[in-house]
Amino acid sequence: MPKLTIDGKAVEVAAGTNLIEAARQAGIEIPHYCYHPGLTIAGQCRLCMVDIEKVPRPQIGCNTLATDGMVVHTGTERVLETRKSIMEFHLINHPLDCPVCDQAGECWLQIYYMRHGLYDPRMTDEKVHKPKAVPLGPHVILDAERCILCSRCVRFCDEITKTGELGIFHRGDQSEIGLFPGATLENKYSGNVIDICPVGALTDRDFRFQVRVWYLDTARSICNGCARGCNIEIHTNRSRPHHNQGRRVARIKPRFHADVNEWWICDAGRYGFRGIDDPSRLTAPMKRDGDRAVETTWDDAIGTLAQALSRHRPEEIGILASPQMSNEDLFLLTRLTEHLRIVNVDFRVPPRTPGDQDDFLIRADKNPNSRGAELGGVVPGAGGLDAGGILKAAARKQIKLLWIFHHDLAQSAWPETEQRAALEGAGLVVFQGTNGNPGSARAHLALPSAAYAERDGTFTNFQGRVQRFRAALSPLGDALPDWDILARLGRTLGASDRAFTAERAEQVFNALAGSVTRFAGMSYRGLGDAGQMVKS
Amino acid sequence: MTEKIFTRNFHRADSHTLSVYRETGGYTAVAKALSMKPATIIEEVKKSNLRGLGGAGFPAGVKWSFIPEGSPAPKYLVVNADEGEPGTFKDRYLLERDPHAVIEGMLIAARAIDSRLGFVYIRGEYVQPWRIFSAAVREAYDAGLLGKGSGFDFDIVVHRGAGAYICGEETGLLSSLEGKKGWPKIKPPFPAIKGAFGQPTIVNNVETLAAVPHIINRGALWFSGLGTKTQGGTRLYSVSGHVVSPGVVEAPVSITLRSLIYDECGGIPNGRRLKAVVPGGSSAAILTADEIDVAMDVDGLKDAGTMAGSAGVIVMDDTVSIPEALMVVARFYAHESCGQCTPCRESTGWIYKIAHRIVEGKGRKEDLDTILDVAKRGAGTTICAFYDGAVGPYISYVEKFREEFEALIRSGNGA
Amino acid sequence: MSDVRNPAFTPLQLAEVRRLQALYPDPRGALLPVLHLAQETFGYISLEVEQYVGALFDLTPAHVHEVVTFYTLYFRAPKGRHVVSVCHNLSCHLLGAKTVIEHLTQRLGVEVGATTADGRVTLLTVECLCACEQAPMMQVDDRYEGHLTPEKVDRILEGLR
Repeated sequence: MPKLTIDGKAVEVAAGTNLIEAARQAGIEIPHYCYHPGLTIAGQCRLCMVDIEKVPRPQIGCNTLATDGMVVHTGTERVLETRKSIMEFHLINHPLDCPVCDQAGECWLQIYYMRHGLYDPRMTDEKVHKPKAVPLGPHVILDAERCILCSRCVRFCDEITKTGELGIFHRGDQSEIGLFPGATLENKYSGNVIDICPVGALTDRDFRFQVRVWYLDTARSICNGCARGCNIEIHTNRSRPHHNQGRRVARIKPRFHADVNEWWICDAGRYGFRGIDDPSRLTAPMKRDGDRAVETTWDDAIGTLAQALSRHRPEEIGILASPQMSNEDLFLLTRLTEHLRIVNVDFRVPPRTPGDQDDFLIRADKNPNSRGAELGGVVPGAGGLDAGGILKAAARKQIKLLWIFHHDLAQSAWPETEQRAALEGAGLVVFQGTNGNPGSARAHLALPSAAYAERDGTFTNFQGRVQRFRAALSPLGDALPDWDILARLGRTLGASDRAFTAERAEQVFNALAGSVTRFAGMSYRGLGDAGQMVKS
Repeated sequence: MTEKIFTRNFHRADSHTLSVYRETGGYTAVAKALSMKPATIIEEVKKSNLRGLGGAGFPAGVKWSFIPEGSPAPKYLVVNADEGEPGTFKDRYLLERDPHAVIEGMLIAARAIDSRLGFVYIRGEYVQPWRIFSAAVREAYDAGLLGKGSGFDFDIVVHRGAGAYICGEETGLLSSLEGKKGWPKIKPPFPAIKGAFGQPTIVNNVETLAAVPHIINRGALWFSGLGTKTQGGTRLYSVSGHVVSPGVVEAPVSITLRSLIYDECGGIPNGRRLKAVVPGGSSAAILTADEIDVAMDVDGLKDAGTMAGSAGVIVMDDTVSIPEALMVVARFYAHESCGQCTPCRESTGWIYKIAHRIVEGKGRKEDLDTILDVAKRGAGTTICAFYDGAVGPYISYVEKFREEFEALIRSGNGA
Repeated sequence: MSDVRNPAFTPLQLAEVRRLQALYPDPRGALLPVLHLAQETFGYISLEVEQYVGALFDLTPAHVHEVVTFYTLYFRAPKGRHVVSVCHNLSCHLLGAKTVIEHLTQRLGVEVGATTADGRVTLLTVECLCACEQAPMMQVDDRYEGHLTPEKVDRILEGLR
């Protein structure tokens, strides 16, 4: 493990560590554009130059490996002047688009100019002009003038998605990134080039002109689009409700996790937040009154459901739980079904179209917590019916209370006739979920769930990793987390388990960790940002 | 009189053919070299003080010794025939008039570095030289000097470029040979460790290799004695511009620039006076008429603040406008910048715009200091030496002829 | 019928492509030679030719396009039956390249970069062709023509059909 000194600080690093990473470990930032730890070294931007003792000229830090005894200086007069020069070179042909560029506020030309430039510009000749506002694909739009030709996007498409759509054409200051004429940037990870582009050359079409980034708040969360559980940040706009068309969630960005998603996220996950602010959100408990759905109070809704659950025999109750639910939600559900001795419980509703899967991030299971449901025992008890059985039994009126969590039955593999028969057969249909759907519209009781972005909780991904997600927003309207709805139900039904007294998701998790051996010893603090694997 | 080594066959009819080459002892050196130990060959070439003749002037024997000894990886010998430095044309003469000298040099170099596969990268515009050289390679194959069964089993692939000066840069050439844009590679790793197709590679200039058979046949001491203390031999000077007799001149590396211009090339025509000389291809800093008493070897010219480079000598008389010359040269560097790294990509275009504006009469007071400052800030920061080559003329033309620039700016419309 | 819109090499040419690819440790090394072959065959490198050649090398069209747009000898639009490339670099400039270029634009009736209406000549200016001893000079198709005067230029043009 080489031991080197950077700006007087001694630091020991793993063999094969370059100076940018070594400096990072020492708490020192070496500015750079083209370097990205997930991509091969390009050495093109020349911004990361540092002075190394016994080496006559400054060297780029990205392509220099730390060696034992190396002494590096990142703040010499020469390094600072070189950085200033490199900033000038980068800005010679750069258009002054800041007032209309989405990148403003998180643009690395702006940031590094303020930190390392601060010179008086002297380029007064005509700048090179290139195509602007060119859609490359459904998600990405290119401004070739703003591009600093760091080649990160080209390397991403070559090395990560291996689709090779992007290239740098021509040469000299006529160099231009782009697609082969007539082609589109359509791979399933295209949005990642927006993240890695240091400037406003590649920007997000969905986010374009919606809201300035300095108005955004951020929360660390987990994507609910599939069983991988990519780590994300949810960026919300709460202070400017007249921007972004009033939507609260502005965008999702991936968060680095070495063992789950590295730096990346698929496009489906990146843009999978639209349901959170969609008009189809259920925002208040609804009760059927004849042909209409009528808003009611939580007390009324909980009371009604509690009565119904007590009134029916356990074998007359069928519950379609959902792998969209968190570990906390599912734990309280199993506590409730134990209390009520309900055995017809299952989370496995077959999807109509099999999910796509690749050898990168995308998992066929489009739910974030199937593993959690499985480990939590959200499956039929002894003699109980599975999901398909519950559906058929409801059609035959043997299931009289059908409680559906989150599922849109129209998206299931079950034939439409069977779905309808089930919904019509069960005497009482309860829907509990975030967004309304045709099935939920026919429910006798609809309970609004808070979206994952509106609460704390944990999902267990396909690897068995338990990961925390944190609330980015308050629940919409009167929506409540599923565990909270179930806790109220439990209390109303007189269940004695202390878990039902929980007022925070963490308390439910602690109860879960205390009862389920696979989760033994876990806590929110222990999970941190890296999560923990379930015990084997 | 100077012994002619490189040019000894140039004026013979059919000098490009195997039979004529053999008449003057061709392919005897390689027979000798194949019985020498590779390390011995490298020592001889080191002792000869043969310096690279493409532009960088790096000691050839030392470069060969960078190949890791005993490495099981395939090693490649690549000949840089992408002659492109403005003012230089001597490799073209070698390719057309003495291709077998290059082939024989390749064979000896291949023996030294344990290579069985050589590539000759010829610039795309050199169609005639490519045809002649390819025919010579075929002759060598037919005569059993190349390929399987020749004893050493060395293969040569002749590869045409497609028009890019940067492919004359060692690693730009390798990228192009690999079927990509001619983008120079970041170093380390250096080509001797990881070069063409990721394998240990030596890149040598055409002329450098053409010297090797002579060194083997007549000894390192003889070759080194022809030159200076730090550079052996003669070399080919390409002389053009305002001289009576432009052309290829073979002379010892110790020759002075004055002698080259006036003794070898007949001096300045039309009764004009010398104003300036570019001594080593356009990337070399310009010399004024007072600075031509300098020896034209690598270290002599380096000490004089310029470089021997490709030995392309461009002579300018007193009718020449140096600001125009700068514009022409700046246009060249802007056009040939590969665009890979930021300082070169952005500033070569900008400096051309400034130089063009000055020539058009729209120069501004601050333009000259801008050119100098931008050039000095960019020097040494780039992936390859192309930009440093551009900086040579940018700085030397403006510094040494500043008054001429200032007069033009003053008399123009720009403020 | 194979042409620049529907390019296809003959079986003989495909065998040549494979032969070239086998010469290099990585077959991609044959890309520049094969692009030269394609240009000779189809007249210029159209986007369809880029896609066709890319398939022969297992390269995405974007990466072929990178190579084609980088090098000056690949034409991406139809060119004249003859290409006249006049050097405008330093030695040629010193010895009257400007005059030669002006003379050519006049004689041919086109700007630099354009092709005569009858498709006979494409006129280009280029950087150093490394024939400075013959300055001012130009490349006409495969050969160099130097020591140019307006008269010599006219004689050369006359010989171009």
